Amino acid sequence: MTCSGFCREGRKRDNRRLKKGAKVTVKESTKLKRLIKAIWIFNWFNSCGFIELVPVVASRWDMERFGMIIVGSPRHADVLFIAGYQTLKSIKRAQRVYEQMAEPRVVIALGACTMTGGMYWDSYNTIKRLSDYIPINMYIPGCPPRPEAIFEACEKIFQHVKGMD
Amino acid sequence: MAAKEEPRILERITSQFRIKGEVRRRGRIWIDVPTEGFVDFCKWLKEQGFEHLSAISAIDWPVEGKFELAYHLWSYQDKILITLKVKIDRQNAVIDSVTEVWDGSAQAHEREIHELFGVKFEGNNNLTPLFLEDWQGLPPFRKDFDWREYVRGKYYDRQNERERVYYD
Repeated sequence: MTCSGFCREGRKRDNRRLKKGAKVTVKESTKLKRLIKAIWIFNWFNSCGFIELVPVVASRWDMERFGMIIVGSPRHADVLFIAGYQTLKSIKRAQRVYEQMAEPRVVIALGACTMTGGMYWDSYNTIKRLSDYIPINMYIPGCPPRPEAIFEACEKIFQHVKGMD
Repeated sequence: MAAKEEPRILERITSQFRIKGEVRRRGRIWIDVPTEGFVDFCKWLKEQGFEHLSAISAIDWPVEGKFELAYHLWSYQDKILITLKVKIDRQNAVIDSVTEVWDGSAQAHEREIHELFGVKFEGNNNLTPLFLEDWQGLPPFRKDFDWREYVRGKYYDRQNERERVYYD
């Protein structure tokens, strides 16, 4: 894994008067460890999907106490949440969002509609198998999934990353 | 608002244009309009106070071979909703656009109907697809569009154990 002068390691090494433009190598495990401390989330939500995740953000379940925050750009995000039914039009945009995310990245699908089309299983314009379009790391079933289920999924990411050392 | 405003307005319309209409109930008038002179009629109605085009709906009558377009017009002045019903041929679904009368609100509705029913609005300069990208096949809201067949062909996999049932 290489890192150009813009990231944190690059700056640290710059202070030690590294030659300008030199490539700095960051260990994969170091990079993953950083993911444990703060999961930055980018949301890709259609229809009711967004409303169902709002409780996780708000004060009662408050995901920020685990270091999870929602970011405004997919380029800053570690995790992509996809919720709501995906139409053929919107999944193309989701793919573009996914491609913009930096490695390592995790994609989590929330809810029945996202995974299989749900009640729109026979619609001419809703996709039926999400994994045909985007590689999915984790599915959270439910209509909608409980906030606890979302936390459990994120906990699995934490454990997975810890286990990678 | 004066009582019994509807018959008076209907009377004014029918005497001017010799077209059929009826008062459905309080505040609701239905009018059957021919395609000839349709836009001129709309212009006249707008001058009469029907300046708000709430919606355009399309109804498919495959047995009759017609598309029926319903234009819902609201008058703020008289508090009356007029529904203009225009029937056009299904095979040659072309009608004059009312964008020159109601402009922006007509534009979006016509664009949507063009996409979902395949009705062509002559004079509307932007009829590009709104919701469906790379759509191949019949306009999906037509009655003869077999969506089960379409979904089977496009999305399901006969080899997949869980989706095989949709082919039986």
